[in-house]
Amino acid sequence: MTAFQGQELIIENLAAGYGKIQVLWDVSVRVGPGEFVAMIGANGAGKTTTLRAVSGVVRPTGGSIRLGGHDITRATPTQIVSLGLGHVPEGRELFGLMTVRENLELGAAMRPEARAKQAQTLDHVYSLFPRLAERAGQLAGTLSGGEQQMVAVGRALMGRPSVLVVDEPSLGLSPLMTQTVFGALKAVHAEGVSVLLVEQNVGLSLKLAQRAYVLENGEVVKEGTGEALLADPGVREAYLAL
Amino acid sequence: MDLFLQTLLNGLLQSGIYALVASGLALAVGVVGIVNFAHGEFLMIGAFMAWAASAFLGVDPLLSLPIVAVAVFGVGALTYRVSIRHVLLAPELNQMLLTFGLGILLQNLALMLLGGNTRTVTTPYQASSLNIGELSIGGPKAIAFGLAVVLLGALYFMLYRTVLGRQMRAVAQNRRGAQLIGIPVDRVYLIAFGVSCGLAAVAGVLVSVLLFASPTVGLVFALKAFAIIVMAGLGNLTGVLWASVILGLSEALVQTYVPGGGGWSDAVFFLMIFGTLVLRSFRRPA
Repeated sequence: MTAFQGQELIIENLAAGYGKIQVLWDVSVRVGPGEFVAMIGANGAGKTTTLRAVSGVVRPTGGSIRLGGHDITRATPTQIVSLGLGHVPEGRELFGLMTVRENLELGAAMRPEARAKQAQTLDHVYSLFPRLAERAGQLAGTLSGGEQQMVAVGRALMGRPSVLVVDEPSLGLSPLMTQTVFGALKAVHAEGVSVLLVEQNVGLSLKLAQRAYVLENGEVVKEGTGEALLADPGVREAYLAL
Repeated sequence: MDLFLQTLLNGLLQSGIYALVASGLALAVGVVGIVNFAHGEFLMIGAFMAWAASAFLGVDPLLSLPIVAVAVFGVGALTYRVSIRHVLLAPELNQMLLTFGLGILLQNLALMLLGGNTRTVTTPYQASSLNIGELSIGGPKAIAFGLAVVLLGALYFMLYRTVLGRQMRAVAQNRRGAQLIGIPVDRVYLIAFGVSCGLAAVAGVLVSVLLFASPTVGLVFALKAFAIIVMAGLGNLTGVLWASVILGLSEALVQTYVPGGGGWSDAVFFLMIFGTLVLRSFRRPA
């Protein structure tokens, strides 16, 4: 497997919202090339909105987003994918009436360089998630929640992203399945992909991440290495209930 | 026995046109997510174009068919760009009011420009017929059915065997997922709506040969198409085919075997909507 090429994602002073409701006020997050960064925060803090703004689904009202040297603040989702962003969305958003294999292939469909290496990447995804190889011909909508999460991660990887953003991958999964999915993220990171992870499982994500940001009410209130935040009394009290 | 077979044959032949109109509507509803009440008016446009080509230029409807299809694809794409696109995020009521208004506008434009008369298209094969044993098929009906089968074959090949078709199905199944993997959703909508209108227009060309062209000719076909997609399940693209056959056969059976059946057959689709909705209400989603 040829290694992935991680790129830099820089979010600066981002402001965004839905209609008249502003959700993000001032979010600055930096993911270095090949870095694993986590974003934690309570429900409604703006984590998902930040990722949606990165993907171009939500239009920023202020600030800027740069991906590997390209300004993507006003770019369309299609352009952003072609520049190398992979998005594993909250709720997985699979194509339920298509097979696992069709879902995965669609992940490579919109990037010529990914389509050229499709067979190779598919083998790689199957080696990360052997379960998906067994279920290749099954309709995605009939899989268990954990298997669907594997498809969502695999589909994003099929685009051979340089930056992977992952939204709440452990939501509704058993601890065992969570381990599998996190193990795969770790493996993907080890291959050089930059990862920005949003997680409700704060303990697990801080252990995995090199650096992390804490979001509150649409603003970054803390940042530091995963270990430092794990040791931070404020973080422990607010998010780990210790 | 022959009467029964003849009835089934008539029903099957009729279902070809139904399937053309309904699969177009299913694309608009399933892929674009818009309930297009003006669908019948795009059929009407196709019928008038075929009539005009035949009456003024002497071009056979079967020859003008591909040109009509492309032209109305363009009209549909333009309609999407200037109107439909802007209400996609609006409440459903607004969307329905828009397409309903569009339908009224097109119908009255036709009435104003062309008058309310029915226009018939004369073709050399109008009175021809095909005999198989004791069964007989009208030439135009056979041609229309053959064309419908070919066109539907092409449509389903596009949907299930091409990149564009796969993108359309992906958008139909999960808009957000499609967007996030980079599918240009807006472009897929534009093409799907254009194809939807093009299919209606092609059916319109066939209707101009089988029946006539008039400002309101599309209405009954659009209503039946709605019955078909309700029966198939909104957004279910393959269910449309068998639902069309069921409607065609039921109508033919009613025409043959119910006394005064000619009048009743146009009520069959209402019964179909009613029956489907009642039946579905008993079936709990898994």
